[in-house]
Amino acid sequence: MDALKALIVDDEADFLETLIKRMKKRRLDVTGVTGAGQALALLAAEPFDVVVLDVRMPEMDGITLLQQIKERYALTEVIMLTGHASMEVAVRGMELGAFDYLMKPVDIDELIYKLQDAYQKRLLQQQKIKEIESLKGGQ
Amino acid sequence: MPSIRDTLQRWLRRPAPQGPAPDVEALRLAFQARYHQFKLLLNANNKALELMSEIEAALSGTQAFGMTFVRSRLTRISTSVFAVVRHMNELAPGGYGALFERFKAIQHEINPHVRIRETVAQGPLVIPLGEVRPDMADQVGAKMANLAEICRRVELAPPEGFVVTAAGFARFMTHSDLQTEIARLLQTADIQEPDELYALSARIQQLIVQAEVPGDLVRAMTEACQALSGEDARPPTLAVRSSALGEDEPGTSFAGQYRSELNVNPEHLLQAYKTVVASKYGVTAMSYRLTRGIREEDVAMCVGCMRMIEARSAGVLYTRSPLDARNDDLTINAAWGLPKSVVDGSVASDLFVVRRGPPLAIGERQVRDKQRKFVCYPDEGVCRLDTVAEERLQPSLNDDQILALARVGLAIDAIYAAAQDIEWAIDARDRLHLLQCRPLPQTPPAGESSGPAGNTAAAPLVASGGQTASAGVAAGPVYVVRKDADALGFPSGAVLVAAQALPRWAPMLSRAAAVVTEQGSIAGHLANVAREFEVPAIVGLEGAVERLGGQAAVTVDAGSRSVYAGRIETLLGPGAKPRNLMAGSPVYAALRQAAEQVIPLTLLDPDSPNFTPENCRTFHDLTRFCHEKAVHEMFRFGKDHAFPERSSKQLHAEVPMQWWVLNLDDGLAQETEGPYAHLDNIVSIPMRALWEGITAYPWEGPPPVDGRGMMAVMFQATANRSLVPTVRTRFANRNYFMISRHYCSLQSRLGFHFCTVEALVSERRTENYASFRFKGGAADLARRIQRVAFVGALLEPYGFQVALREDALAARIEQYDQPVMCDALRLLGYLIIHTRQLDMIMAAPNSVAFYRRKLEDQIARLLTVIKPSPLPAPFSGDAP
Repeated sequence: MDALKALIVDDEADFLETLIKRMKKRRLDVTGVTGAGQALALLAAEPFDVVVLDVRMPEMDGITLLQQIKERYALTEVIMLTGHASMEVAVRGMELGAFDYLMKPVDIDELIYKLQDAYQKRLLQQQKIKEIESLKGGQ
Repeated sequence: MPSIRDTLQRWLRRPAPQGPAPDVEALRLAFQARYHQFKLLLNANNKALELMSEIEAALSGTQAFGMTFVRSRLTRISTSVFAVVRHMNELAPGGYGALFERFKAIQHEINPHVRIRETVAQGPLVIPLGEVRPDMADQVGAKMANLAEICRRVELAPPEGFVVTAAGFARFMTHSDLQTEIARLLQTADIQEPDELYALSARIQQLIVQAEVPGDLVRAMTEACQALSGEDARPPTLAVRSSALGEDEPGTSFAGQYRSELNVNPEHLLQAYKTVVASKYGVTAMSYRLTRGIREEDVAMCVGCMRMIEARSAGVLYTRSPLDARNDDLTINAAWGLPKSVVDGSVASDLFVVRRGPPLAIGERQVRDKQRKFVCYPDEGVCRLDTVAEERLQPSLNDDQILALARVGLAIDAIYAAAQDIEWAIDARDRLHLLQCRPLPQTPPAGESSGPAGNTAAAPLVASGGQTASAGVAAGPVYVVRKDADALGFPSGAVLVAAQALPRWAPMLSRAAAVVTEQGSIAGHLANVAREFEVPAIVGLEGAVERLGGQAAVTVDAGSRSVYAGRIETLLGPGAKPRNLMAGSPVYAALRQAAEQVIPLTLLDPDSPNFTPENCRTFHDLTRFCHEKAVHEMFRFGKDHAFPERSSKQLHAEVPMQWWVLNLDDGLAQETEGPYAHLDNIVSIPMRALWEGITAYPWEGPPPVDGRGMMAVMFQATANRSLVPTVRTRFANRNYFMISRHYCSLQSRLGFHFCTVEALVSERRTENYASFRFKGGAADLARRIQRVAFVGALLEPYGFQVALREDALAARIEQYDQPVMCDALRLLGYLIIHTRQLDMIMAAPNSVAFYRRKLEDQIARLLTVIKPSPLPAPFSGDAP
């Protein structure tokens, strides 16, 4: 689990800073950015296992960003984390493939559990793909 | 007798795998992936159940909640249920697509109750008061609509000014997305916590005060101001008052919760306007809306801007008694200068009581020492002055003024055919002005509880006097409030004691047992709120802070205006149930209606042909269905694949047992290919705990019963052999454990009852749970029902939440640390074995008592951490 690499996107700089600090104390490899543009640029440069997204951001809303990430990096898991309590947006996010939709204030342990679960899902999926490829290669 | 080999061979006989031998690694991976899905499904299911019980608690309890709570819980539960459905479909692709359609349909039903309704505020941003008509209450607020109407009806000079309308408010709040940001702030704070509420209130108000007023609204307000200019072309100073939608509805008393800005220079009108708008998020107003279940979005803050009246004397007139519906005397509270001192309870005021007559007559006058008064500065603002010596003890109204005021009061009372609360002022030219007018809530006459009925002869009197602001008797520890910070620590059930009856103490009233203040009048805001919350209150009790401050606890008899030391039980009588102010409110209705699509469980019987996705009518049905099917799918997957590592194995504890084990993931220390799962090799934490309970004490067989011969035969038939090694039992009697390191599910049929245990126990405390279902028996229904009640009563003291329905029991315990969870599982294992056939003795009270003692005894010795408590233990840690 130590290898988990996460990216957190939230336009609220204070919140982001505190969260990153707390997660680093728990020895997690996390990076924080405050906007969708930065997030996409970073994802293009290096792979992340899990991305945590705020739903409402000025530059590009979280749902659009979720869509773009899922289109470009299908195996990257996305967790929505937001202060926006909307049933419709939550379900929309889930339908678009978000791993979960969490609401602020979130318990830090709860968030880490979700990160680990999402990471494990990604690992299992990667292994499965490898397995299929090796089968194909064998034929 | 068939050998073990026969049994096993029959068990292991299944279709040979098709095609090439499966890649072991691929299968192992497939198992792992499925188990991961399964675990996520369990987590989501558990979360959904937790949220359902939170919603149920909110609907049944007296705890206040707002739309923020409603929306966040329904958003969370939708997410969890969606996750359950998705994991189900990933677990068994193709079979359960219809669940998504059901989910969508149910969500569609919930939506109207939780959606944020866009306020359709139409019409002008500003309306002159002269053009306000009674049917404009939804544009200008009831307060301004009433005031304009009343002045017209009683032929008083109409107030000069204008109202910034609900449309104006909407314009302001949508400009720069203010409303969205506020919703976000509300969502992320816990306003049940006083310190968070104070911080949040300050932050939102700051946000509003700093926000830009859009240009069109600025123009409209400036023009309206110019229109008020007198001959010297200078617009007058203004009184800027709230007139929120819903503010003066019958049964609610927003009085004094919102700010009024007095004597505002027109140059600073925008700032004053924003300050009044911001007071929608004052602590008082926010906690009031919360306790009364009023939706944020229903409160549009209209603001009245009126020419400031320079009052010589002013105050509040009640056209009837607020305390006793049978008393129709008029009461006038009056003071020198502006009415502020009467309304905010900060200065002593004169009291005049006028009998209706005819003829109208002044019945009572209490002229107080009015040390201070509020007056207008010439340019802007108000100041507090020391009253000059001769004015202090003079009545602030003469008899003519009192009677004239009373006549106006009577006229207004007649128009509305109901008691009214009227704020008035008399200017230097002796002209009467009405400033506000609203319905006065009257409490039904208090039972004559105080006085002779209660024996108070022996009770030590601490203080007496003042006025009854809200009748009733209550006791509690004394808590003196001097400054805002004191309010943060106000303990629930305390008696609030303060020098002044300030409106800002109101948020504490929902938690206060009683209120005693030195200043203030029954017409003040705090008194209004005390009546509304039915909190006994005495105002104007001299020396209260000093005299009560030294007492640990007091009993307040507000009706007889007396305070006694300690708890005087003879006065207190049977405790009245706290009133649930939420019931019937819009917020409560929204949650109740949404919950109808969430909570009820209509899919009860998994064996029924109706147990299908199409028949899921609620979120609870969806989770119940998916949980059942997921367990089934996991079991079937293990069975259907010729994968020795993951087929079920017979439990081997010294000898083979009639219990089977299916390893889902990492439940065994070492994978084995043989037919047995040796107990030493099992590392499933919950299963080991459960097994310890199962085997802790030998079962002594069915209880002795004096029954008819028929019954005896039944016992013979059911004498359970499942714990006896190597005896063949019927397929249906098998007991299966499905395990992983942190998970265990047990399906067992022992004798005539059927039970399931499911548990997840890991270092993730918040995800831990154990659930237990128990049903059936061989005795008649009445005794089976008695048995589940018996079992439930054994579980509850150990922290289980128990639900009984006919002869079925469902119990849950969750979110405890691993040692507690293991104890809980030991208890369940023990009960599975030792409550067998106890249904047979349920009709004999002596036997029941005997078995209860015996079981309780053994349980106490079995458990290592949990001790029984008379009440269900609270969740440890930070559970809600």
